Amino acid sequence: MTAVGAGAVRPRSPSATTAFRRNGAYVAGLTPAALLLTLFFVGPSLWALYTSFTNKALVGLDAARPRFVGLDNYLRLFSDPDFATVILNSVVFVVGSAIIGQFVLGLLLALLLDHAERRRYRLATVAYAAVLLAWVNPTLIAGFLWVAMFDFFYGSLNTGLQLVGLPPVDWLGRFPMLAVIIANIWRGTAFTMLIFLGALKTIPTDIYEAARVDGANAWRRFWDHTLPSLRPIAALALLSITMSTFGTFILIQTLTNGGPGIRTETIALYAFHEAFRSYAIGYGSTIAVVMLALNAAFAVFYLRWSRARA
Amino acid sequence: MNTRARVSRRTFLKATAATGVIVACGGPTTAPPAATGTKAATLSGTITVSYPDELGLKPKYVDKAATDLKAKYSGLDVKVDLQKISSGDYYTKLLLALSGGGDVPDVIHVGGDRIGELADAGYIEPLDRYVSQWEDWKNYPDAVKDGVKYQGKVWAIPYGLDMRWLYIRREHMDKAGLGAEWTPKNVDDILTAAKAVKDKVSGVIPYALYAGAAGDTGTANHSFVPLVWAYGGDIIDKNGKWIGDSPAVRKALDYYARTYNGGLTPKELLTTTKPWTAMRENEGKGTLALLFEGGWVYGGWTKAPFDPAAVQKNVHYVLHPTSTGGPSFTIGGPGTCWYVTAKSKNKDAAWAYIAQWNNKDTVAKLNIEDPHPVARTDSADVAEFKAQQYLVDSTEALKKARFIPTDANYGKVIGAIQKATGRVAAGEMSPDDAAKRYTDDLKQAIGADKVITQ
Repeated sequence: MTAVGAGAVRPRSPSATTAFRRNGAYVAGLTPAALLLTLFFVGPSLWALYTSFTNKALVGLDAARPRFVGLDNYLRLFSDPDFATVILNSVVFVVGSAIIGQFVLGLLLALLLDHAERRRYRLATVAYAAVLLAWVNPTLIAGFLWVAMFDFFYGSLNTGLQLVGLPPVDWLGRFPMLAVIIANIWRGTAFTMLIFLGALKTIPTDIYEAARVDGANAWRRFWDHTLPSLRPIAALALLSITMSTFGTFILIQTLTNGGPGIRTETIALYAFHEAFRSYAIGYGSTIAVVMLALNAAFAVFYLRWSRARA
Repeated sequence: MNTRARVSRRTFLKATAATGVIVACGGPTTAPPAATGTKAATLSGTITVSYPDELGLKPKYVDKAATDLKAKYSGLDVKVDLQKISSGDYYTKLLLALSGGGDVPDVIHVGGDRIGELADAGYIEPLDRYVSQWEDWKNYPDAVKDGVKYQGKVWAIPYGLDMRWLYIRREHMDKAGLGAEWTPKNVDDILTAAKAVKDKVSGVIPYALYAGAAGDTGTANHSFVPLVWAYGGDIIDKNGKWIGDSPAVRKALDYYARTYNGGLTPKELLTTTKPWTAMRENEGKGTLALLFEGGWVYGGWTKAPFDPAAVQKNVHYVLHPTSTGGPSFTIGGPGTCWYVTAKSKNKDAAWAYIAQWNNKDTVAKLNIEDPHPVARTDSADVAEFKAQQYLVDSTEALKKARFIPTDANYGKVIGAIQKATGRVAAGEMSPDDAAKRYTDDLKQAIGADKVITQ
C-alpha cells in the first residue's frame, strides 16, 4: 500500500558513458520497478496533489466544471475542527496497535518462538502457524472475523456473556478504538514477529555462550546482546508497520466505519469519506496529500534514526 | 430548482392520491410498444443496461425487456450489467465511471433524489424529446412527472414511488402494558413506548433510529428529516436556502440524545455496516419493537424466512406523528428511476429500452414483489396490485406525504446530517452544540451563501 523510497546512489564516475557501463545492469534491473512505481504511486500522488488545489467533485456543478481554488482546501482542512480529532485518532491507533501492540508483541513472540525452536519444542510450529494464519488472512476477512466477535446482536463475546447470565456489552459502541486496535494487533503482529525471528537467527550463538560463561543472566544476555543486534532491523520494522498502520482502512471500515460519531475515524477513512461519500474529490485529495506528507516525515525520521544507530 | 420541488410536493400529493381513485376508474389499456416515441425507425448497435440488485427481484424484468427489445430490432444488442451490490456502493462506482474518460453504460438505475446533482454534473441526458412522443407518458400523473424534472426538463423515468411507515410490533406493545393497538399520539410518545419496552420486555431492541455515516441516506430520510418536520421545522426554506441551526433541528437532535442516552437504540447502529439490514430483519422477526422505515420493507417480511401470518398479525404500520399531535405524515419520493447517460453513443436505443421496461405490467408486477405505490396510474389497475391491501394503504398514505427536496446539494446535506446525528448519538456533543456545528458543516459543504439559521 505504501511505497518506501530508498536513497538513490549517485556514482561519481568521470563520464555518463562509463557510469552507464558500470551501472547498466542495475539500471536495467530497476527500470521495471521504477516504471511500476511511477505508474501506480508517483502518478496518482501527483494527480492527488494537483486535484487538492481544485474543487473537483463527483457530482454537481463542480464535477462538470472544476475550478482551481488555490490553498482553499488546505485552509479548510486546517480550520476543520474534526481534523484535529482525526489526527489524534490516527496517532492513538498507530501508537496503540503498531508501536505498542505489533512491535512489542511481535518482538516478544519472536523471542519466545526463537527460544522454543532452539529447544526444539514441537508446539513451536503450531504457535508459529497460528500467528501467521492471522496475517495471511485477507484484511476484509480479518475484519469480519472481529465483527463476528464484537457484534452486539450476534457476536461470540456477547453470546458467551449471555450463556453465563450476563448482559450483552456494546463493544464497538463503548470501546471502539480499543476494539480496532486489538483487531489490528491480532492481524499485523505476525509481520514484526517474522522480521525479528529472522534477525534473531542471524545472532551467533557463541556470543550467548560466552556471556553465560561470564555469568550473565537471561535478562542481561537479552539487554546486552540480543537487543543491540536487533536495533537496525527494529527501525525497518517500525517504519513498515507505522506506515501501513497509518494507512489502515479496510479493517476499521469493516469494524466501525469510523464511528460511533468520529471516534475511530482515522485520516485514511476521513479521506475516503470526504472523497467517496461526500463526493468532494478535491477535498479528499487534500487529506490524502497531508497523509502522504506525514508518511514521508515518518520515513525520514525512522531512516535517520536507523542510520544514527547503525 | 426549489420552486420546482415545492410545486411538485403539492401537486404530487394530489396526483398520487388520485392514483388510488384512478385505480377504480381503470380505463382501456394497451400493451405499450417497445420503443414508442423513438424517432428512429430501426435501431442497431449495442447498448449496456446497468443496475444494482441485492434482492434479486429485478433481473427477470430487466432481462425480459432486453429480450423483447432485441426481438423487435434484429440489429440491436442489449447487454445487461447486473451489479449485486447495495445501491449506495453502486452509485459510488457509477460516479467514478461517469466522471472518468472511459465507456459508460447507456442506461443506469439510480434514486430519483440524485437527479439534480447528476444533471448538474452533465452525466445524464434530458428525456423531453423522447417522452413528448411516448404514448405511455400520459399515464403518469403530472406530479410524478414533476418529481423527475429539474430545471424544467425531464431526466428520469420512475416506476415505484417511495413512502415510509412507522412499524410497531403489537405483541411488544401489549407486553409493555400499552395495549396491542397502541399508536403514538405525538413524536415523544415513540420514546415513551420504547422506554416501556426496554423496561418490561426482555430480548427485544426497543427502537432503531438511524444516525451517523453508518445509517447512510436512512439517517436523513428515515430519521432526522421526519423528526425535523415532526417538530414543526424544515431542512430547506422557500427560497432554496438550507436551514442549519433552528429550534426544530435542536429538538430533533435532542430526540436523538434521549434515544441514545436512554439506551433505547443500541449504539451498535453507529458502527454496524448497513445497520438497516439487521434492523429490518429484527422488526420482521419481532426482536425489534419500533422502526420508521421504507414502505417497501414490509414486502420482505411476507415471505420466508419470515412468518407472513405472524407479520400480518403483529406488525402495525402507521404514519409518522408530529410533536403537537397534528396530522401525521409520511415521506414520499420518486423512488429509483431509469436514466439515459449523456455519454451514451446510442441514446435512441437506450431510451427504447427504458420505454420497453416501463410497461404497465412490469411496473405493476415489480411493485407487488417489491412493494411501492406505482408511478403510472394504469399499473394500479392490475388486479393483483389492487388485491394487496398493503399496497392500497401505501398508495393512500401518499396523500399525506411530504417530499424530500430534490436540490442538487441534498447529497452533501446528508453528509452534514450524518455528522450532526452521529455526534449526538455517540455522546460527543450536546444537541445544541451539534446544531451549531451542523450550520458550520453545511456552510463548509455547500457554501455559506446557501445556508441560513432560524
